[in-house]
Amino acid sequence: MSKSVLTAEASTFVPAERLRASARPRWGEFVIRGFIGACGLFVVVATVAVITFIARAGVRGIQDVGLAQLLSGEIWKPEAGTFGGYPLIFGTGISAVGAALVGALPALLAAVWVSELAPKSARPIYRRTMEIAAAVPSVVYGWLALVHLVPQAEWVARALYGEEAQVTGEGLASSAVLLGIMIAPTVFLLSLDALSRVPGTLREASAALGASSWQTAFRVTIPGAGRSLFTAVFFGFARAAGETMAVQMVIGGARRVPHNLFEPATTVSTQIVMDMQNATPNTTASNVLFSMSLVLLVLSAGVVLISRLIGTWGRSTKSAKGAKA
Amino acid sequence: MSSLAELQRMRRRHRFIETALERLLATGSIGLAGLYVFALLVLMLRGGSKVTNFTLFASPLLDVGGEDAVRFVFAASIFGCAAWAAAALVQRVRAVPRATARVAIAFVAVAGALLFRDHLPRFLIALPSDTTAGGGVGPEIFNTLYAAVMSTAITLPIGIGAAVYLARFAGAGKFVSVVRMALDTLASLPSIVYGLFGFLVFVVEMKAGYSLLAGAFVLALLNLPLVVGVAEESLRAVPGELEDASLALGATRVQTTLRVTIPYAWPGILSALVLSIGRVFAESAPLVMTAGTTISRSDAYSLNPLRGGETLAVHLWYVNSAGLSPDKADVSAGTAAVLIVLIALTNFLASRLAHFGGRK
Repeated sequence: MSKSVLTAEASTFVPAERLRASARPRWGEFVIRGFIGACGLFVVVATVAVITFIARAGVRGIQDVGLAQLLSGEIWKPEAGTFGGYPLIFGTGISAVGAALVGALPALLAAVWVSELAPKSARPIYRRTMEIAAAVPSVVYGWLALVHLVPQAEWVARALYGEEAQVTGEGLASSAVLLGIMIAPTVFLLSLDALSRVPGTLREASAALGASSWQTAFRVTIPGAGRSLFTAVFFGFARAAGETMAVQMVIGGARRVPHNLFEPATTVSTQIVMDMQNATPNTTASNVLFSMSLVLLVLSAGVVLISRLIGTWGRSTKSAKGAKA
Repeated sequence: MSSLAELQRMRRRHRFIETALERLLATGSIGLAGLYVFALLVLMLRGGSKVTNFTLFASPLLDVGGEDAVRFVFAASIFGCAAWAAAALVQRVRAVPRATARVAIAFVAVAGALLFRDHLPRFLIALPSDTTAGGGVGPEIFNTLYAAVMSTAITLPIGIGAAVYLARFAGAGKFVSVVRMALDTLASLPSIVYGLFGFLVFVVEMKAGYSLLAGAFVLALLNLPLVVGVAEESLRAVPGELEDASLALGATRVQTTLRVTIPYAWPGILSALVLSIGRVFAESAPLVMTAGTTISRSDAYSLNPLRGGETLAVHLWYVNSAGLSPDKADVSAGTAAVLIVLIALTNFLASRLAHFGGRK
């Protein structure tokens, strides 16, 4: 082969049979192409499978109990056949909103400080710290909260409601703070990425107009990254709503709507884990748990949908502006 | 009408408020980061002793199948990592040929394992105990690593395949957006939903009971969006000229992908895999529902993937929610410390790999 390439005729004239040989289908090639396509298909099939399996059992549970009772009933007693999911949904909602307030907002502000106001040399150190904090397993945070946060929460509750009050440190306050601590690093890293995507020319223009770095940060950079920041907080919120084991350690596990933030409560995901251990498959008691997880699934799918909508909305307005310019 | 002096006064006041707010923000931000550093320090101080107290006396074998081999592997990894760190330090001071360093690391690992495998900290090799003090996490460490290996073996081919599909073989058709939508949905699902799915498929439908394989499969699914996302990004970063050159030489698209694109993007793909291993270490809810919370003495170190078993993260939860042992605070601290060390190692590896890719 090398000999024929060297001669002038061969380089201009390729024998027809060799062309045909290279065009002949190669089975290895087919297999690999097929595998690559199959991997793409697998992702779709797996997603559909997860959702159908959960939805099938969940819909059965909804049929057994009724949607209204499942969402608004106030008593959750599987052993008595009463499935009112309101205390669960209430617990999840309050701890996730609390986590967003306690964790996501400070994380957002910290990201603004690190990216806009802090000395440049501090940035990688801060980032590295938060990356490590984000990699710490949630059960570890859960255990630390159980040992160090719950006693403090009980002390606060005693101070607020008096010594005789029926309060323990376990409850929504502890779980909200725990979830806040847990999601803050993730929200911080996502916000930092969002802020760093804001073009530097905007900041320079703002500085050239005489704005201080504080004004630039809060009037130019944050509005510029607004949508992505919103997505970051939303992501943290969804993670807090779905967290299970860490919350289970500090929530107390009382299946009713608590009177205050320091009484034992429960959330959707912790109740699923706890009850699934006793439920016989394919009974109402088990199906109802899938219905509750369907609530979580709809919530997280809603987050995807909303963040997608925000994304496309941003893109379309941007491209419209581009077209005008 | 404001005079110039008044304007300047306003401006000064404005600047004063701004500085105050900025200081407040700085204090808060540093405090937030300090909280995490403090928490990790507390953890390592409380749990560190469990991990570092090598025993003077050889701890006897517990008559559990495969225990000797597991001790050897644990000891070899510990001494290997220590030697690796030492080699990296030495290399900063004076240049040592890479081959020499590798031989030295391997020698230290094997020698350390041969000499000290029975002197490992008791916590790392003992079996867990529900009711009495002195339980260890040997089987949990083994299960954690084993689940990570199995789940990576599933994620690796499918993740790379899907990433290659999205980055190079898919056009702009309808199906691509369906795949992306599916990945986004998978990424958003709470891990408990994965656990329920695995429970339905493996425990209810297939009646296979709790198994590590089911846990690994569910975790592989959970990691798929992350791996595909990072791998696709690094595949897209491969310069088009390289691929064009390969195609111009007569290579087919598949050959180009296998011999040019994937090797170039390999460090990025590898760091995605390492990140996903970190998540296998950390995840607990899906594993509780698919792999169970028990350790049985007879197959504590068995390689049979169809047996159930808890991992470190699950153990940390189980000890505190259902365990009755009197030293559960100590056991939890030790378990958390082992977990943090494992995750720190994988993260360090990920950043090294990404760095390696950048240099290339």
